[in-house]
Amino acid sequence: MPGTNLIVPVVLWGKHAPTHCVSSVYLSRDQKTLVTGCYDGQICIWQVDPDNLKMTPRCLLVGHTAPVTCLSRASIIQDNNFIVSSSEAGEMCTWDLVDGKCRESVKLSQIHTNIQAYHMCNSEDLRLFCNGYYAEILIMDPFSLEILFSLSSKMNPDWISALHVLRPSSRKDDVVLAISITGTVKVWSLLGHENKQSEPIYENESKQIRCLNALSLNCCAYNQRTVLIVCAKYCQIYDAGDFSVLCSIQAPSGERWMSGDFLAPDRVLVCSTEGKGYLYRLPANSVPDHKGFHGPTVDHDSPVLFGLLAHPDNKLLSCPPAMRFVITSVGGKQRRLLLRGDSAGVVSAWNVDDAAVPNPRSMPTHAPIVMTSLDIAWEDMNPSPVGILDQLHHPDEQEIKLTASIYLLAANRLVVGREDGSIVIVNATHTVQLQLLHGNHQQLDDWPPHQLLLGHNGRVNCLLYPHHVHQRYDKSHLVSGGIDFAVCLWDLFSGSLLHRFCVHAGEITQLIVPPHNCSPRIQKCICSVASDHSVTLLSLTERKCVTLASRHLFPVLAIKWRPADDFMVVGCSDGTVFVWQMETGHVDRVLHGMIAEEVLAACDEALADDLGGSLSTGSSDGLANPAVHFFRGLRHRNLTAMRAATQRGLAALQHSGPAGNAGPLAEPARARRAQLTVQGFRSNPAAMRAATQRGLAALQHSGPAGNAGPLAEPARARRAQLTVQGFRSNPADPESHILFFDIEGLIVELLSEEYSAMSPASLEAAGLITSEYMKVAALTQSASPDATKRISGILAKMKEGAENMQTKLQAKAEQLKGHGDAKGRCSFRCRVAA
Amino acid sequence: MCDNEKEEAANLKEEFEWVLREEVHAILHQLHTVLVECAHRFPVPLYGNEGQKQDKFILTSQPEQLKCIVTLTGDSITHADISFKVLRQMHTICRTSINQDGPWKLQQIQDAANHLQQAIGYIDNVDKHYVFRSSEEVLHIIQCLIGSLQRARTALVLPKKKAIDELMKSRNMKALSPNLPEDLAISFYIQSHKLIFVAYQLSSVHGTMRIDSCQADCAVPWLSDVLFMLTAALHMCQQLKDKLCVFSQYKDFTVGSRSASMVFN
Repeated sequence: MPGTNLIVPVVLWGKHAPTHCVSSVYLSRDQKTLVTGCYDGQICIWQVDPDNLKMTPRCLLVGHTAPVTCLSRASIIQDNNFIVSSSEAGEMCTWDLVDGKCRESVKLSQIHTNIQAYHMCNSEDLRLFCNGYYAEILIMDPFSLEILFSLSSKMNPDWISALHVLRPSSRKDDVVLAISITGTVKVWSLLGHENKQSEPIYENESKQIRCLNALSLNCCAYNQRTVLIVCAKYCQIYDAGDFSVLCSIQAPSGERWMSGDFLAPDRVLVCSTEGKGYLYRLPANSVPDHKGFHGPTVDHDSPVLFGLLAHPDNKLLSCPPAMRFVITSVGGKQRRLLLRGDSAGVVSAWNVDDAAVPNPRSMPTHAPIVMTSLDIAWEDMNPSPVGILDQLHHPDEQEIKLTASIYLLAANRLVVGREDGSIVIVNATHTVQLQLLHGNHQQLDDWPPHQLLLGHNGRVNCLLYPHHVHQRYDKSHLVSGGIDFAVCLWDLFSGSLLHRFCVHAGEITQLIVPPHNCSPRIQKCICSVASDHSVTLLSLTERKCVTLASRHLFPVLAIKWRPADDFMVVGCSDGTVFVWQMETGHVDRVLHGMIAEEVLAACDEALADDLGGSLSTGSSDGLANPAVHFFRGLRHRNLTAMRAATQRGLAALQHSGPAGNAGPLAEPARARRAQLTVQGFRSNPAAMRAATQRGLAALQHSGPAGNAGPLAEPARARRAQLTVQGFRSNPADPESHILFFDIEGLIVELLSEEYSAMSPASLEAAGLITSEYMKVAALTQSASPDATKRISGILAKMKEGAENMQTKLQAKAEQLKGHGDAKGRCSFRCRVAA
Repeated sequence: MCDNEKEEAANLKEEFEWVLREEVHAILHQLHTVLVECAHRFPVPLYGNEGQKQDKFILTSQPEQLKCIVTLTGDSITHADISFKVLRQMHTICRTSINQDGPWKLQQIQDAANHLQQAIGYIDNVDKHYVFRSSEEVLHIIQCLIGSLQRARTALVLPKKKAIDELMKSRNMKALSPNLPEDLAISFYIQSHKLIFVAYQLSSVHGTMRIDSCQADCAVPWLSDVLFMLTAALHMCQQLKDKLCVFSQYKDFTVGSRSASMVFN
């Protein structure tokens, strides 16, 4: 998307670190960047000090909708800062680690469980060798994320459970060694000229061994003669020559093996599900240089445990941690580390070389050399990261967590629901000012004033301001849903509770607005979804439930509409689709399988047609913010558009009073946009892909998220100078808030405000008077026919001014940031790659 | 908090501990039984199942457009006699066959079986005497289970869409004897409880490619059983998940957080 670099997101994280249950971990070779992926789909980038491995969280990348299972580097070049991530939903992204942008993304039908980045002969850069829930090995390009070619099996084709690519020392070609889940070992030789058009590439050799569901396979890097295969219950050393078992190591009781690698020809490191690393010395028959190699197992010569890498406290984990053995090189010095990221978000590293020397007398336990977590990083900050409503928190009381929020654009007010059931309404600019800027206002008590709505018993889960979505709704109506099963209707202006709908049998998870072309009765309704999988249409004018749709056995994933047929189409997590008649509340049909998918997709098409029509009319006569049109014109060198926009903008300024928010004209187009994404809901893969492709990184609420789809944000942000969006990484977390500052909008706003405030005399006194000003003045008074000539002058000036302002703002931002760092404010940014 | 609320919270906590101690294991055991039963319906070697069952099916479409006699062994069609009328040349009948040397593999069956195997594995990994100490632990296992079961179901219910040239180049197509002419292609796939056979014909109309197809299907009995059991298992998982989520509002609930005197009363 062009021009969006002018939107600056700033995150107010609040006192609590986001939940980060680590599912995968990666450390760059130069030891400067650590990356952790988590079960909620976010990726955290940590800045690492190469000398002491001190880690500081730097960025949170949002985009995946499922657990991040694989992380891999993208290039052989040391300072190339790209990584590839892959999730359990089949999404793959290439991220720029420097600015956190998503450079490329795809959604594959094949889901990877493991990726090995490997530099093939005859290729310029790395290739990704992927295996997973499919019967082939896919070779992908890390930057285009295209499948270059695949490797197939002739013998017992089945899923590949582990693979290892290597180049035998005596040969020029690359060899892929892999094992299928049923225990067939396969070998492919690659010459480097394989491509998609070539005939299927089959394995050169295969052998059935007794090894089911292998988890990892590694060929010894030192002699390329022995292979370590790890299964949950045991790990085994094989002779690569004939694939016979040389020795076997049982997993400790109560633990299962996860992965392993060679440290030396006679030493291995194996990791367990309890997050421990076990160091073993192999018996003589498993060491190729030894004369007893490949001999029978000798009784007194079995694998010897000589070291244990473990956490000293051994805290309870709720799931197996992610562990990875990495070899880094800093200043030409090689270093071998074992990384671990666990369910509590704790990241730790052991220096393997310290522990790799066998001690015949004792079996020492080694503690990690570094251990940190987001929680620790948060605690270390003094003062702690600001939240958007910190003024309401008294130091001696327990903090009330913020659980839902929406931003009312037209009124510039922020509505925040909290854990105790209260809803706070406050002026957004003021509360932001209070948290971010220093000044006298910070000394004021009870500033800014806020409104408190009390009515929910327990956490407020979601908020909706229906008038935002469509003008047919009453301007004063605000709707909230809570953990107390109730949907409350509020009068925004008086702060009174108008009605409490108690129709659901579970906490309310989501509130949505039905499309504008429904029947008149349904148009007055809002739609609410609850954790008992029920959906209702609640009439705000009749104050009663019009339709209760409560036969769903599985959680509701998507709600779509067929207004013309009076249908509400509910998609459930098991793939079933319920078609409800809105007016009568009858189930029209229940669909499964392919047909269900098709019906859901058809709703999108109908909506897109509808939307396309209304959008095109909306942009021609609805007239969005002139600033947007102006810059759009500037971008496309469209002089007519620029002229029209400038004229309109200047004209508007002459009439409007205190500026600050986008004109009401901007509303309809934006509102429709939001509607589309709301219907796209949480797990709409198409919407998600479209968003990530735009580099937007979806910002999906992975849990029962409350309000309007976050996808709507950029569209909205471009029409207002400030927008506030709630964000959380896990449904159990309190909300953080992202502030989107539209620099374009701000510049235009500030410049024109300045122009209008200055009289010609004051301008002259300041030495600023130019013919440009006269041109502006002339323009705003009369659109003379020779405006075309003048406008170019203004344009130059405006552009220059804009650039100056941008640099200034940037400097200011940097200054602020530096200041923030000094004060321990969140240098940890959230990246909404725009 | 007033006394009533305190009592309610205490009772809920007790119930929560009971769920973790007894109910979770009971439900996992039940799930295990259902899934193993499901695995035994699969015609492939899976979880103690001997596998390699053989079935014969006849697929025809009205009016005598195509006919196909299929032998399904495990996850592959090991034998088939196929004949179909070429569209718009009503008198040409195209014949081909699949034989033992080049079986037509139905990857969907293998995928579903593997996902199911993985799901059973998650339950097997939990020791019967293990004491769960937090709902997160259980939710993690349930989430993994739901993921695998859903993928297993999806593999059978929603066949992956393939481009026609991909189909033409596939190993399955190349194993037909005799080979089909270049403008014809056939495909077998599973959709829900049915085995489906499609014949495609490519033609060029005014320079744009057009694909005509006709299809026939037949019900595969074991598939309906498998789908039923997968759905039942999914539902059990969902119910356990919902049950645990009710307690999630009390975040400080962990086993042992209650005073000792109150345990087992």
